[in-house]
Amino acid sequence: MNWWLAGAALLILGGLGPCLWGAATGGTGRRMTAQNTATLLLCLVFLLLAQGYERPAYTDLALVVSVLGPAGTLVFVRLFETPSDTPAAARLLSPLVTAATVATVVPLCVATGPGRAMAKLIVIGVLLLAGGAVTSRAVRGG
Amino acid sequence: MDDVLGGLALLFVAAAATAAVLNRDPARQALVLSLLGLGLAVLFTVLQAPDVGLSQLAVGSAITPLMILLTVRKVRRIGRGRQAEDDGKGRSR
Repeated sequence: MNWWLAGAALLILGGLGPCLWGAATGGTGRRMTAQNTATLLLCLVFLLLAQGYERPAYTDLALVVSVLGPAGTLVFVRLFETPSDTPAAARLLSPLVTAATVATVVPLCVATGPGRAMAKLIVIGVLLLAGGAVTSRAVRGG
Repeated sequence: MDDVLGGLALLFVAAAATAAVLNRDPARQALVLSLLGLGLAVLFTVLQAPDVGLSQLAVGSAITPLMILLTVRKVRRIGRGRQAEDDGKGRSR
């Protein structure tokens, strides 16, 4: 039994599942918000999987998601022609991502210990926070 | 524990694929398709194939939706151009 993997399973069930429901139903703004949240949560899932399987190389996946996820969301925001009907809950996106990122990256940094791996984790965390801020502003149309 | 994770990832992929089929608007399908790509990347990683997951991530999360949305945009623009042309012909007659 590995607590990191349990956390990843919990994040898939409680985070990605509702995001899929949000992306499959409702208006365009809600769908984009859900898709954006899913990419940011997925990054945390990859970080937890890398620690759970004890393979530091798996963090590369999280690094790729933290760059490509916000880029994909910006593509959707740019190319969707219908006017955005973003739900009021989109305002909670940035604080939610910030809290989840800090709650995941800090324990991982403590478990990893100082070194190059920890620097990589911090870079991924900062990229996630920046991506969350940029995309939540873009989705809200500001 | 691995079985639970694999089962969850499989379940997510199945749900995302079904949702992508049930949505009928191509632009919205592209959104659900990007989620399907993310789910497949998780599944490949849980099955200890992160290299496949990496390429799936690059293709599924950004490039495929971009292609679909660009195509939908182009088709709609062509449709609108043809409609305007037909309207113009109708008036000249």
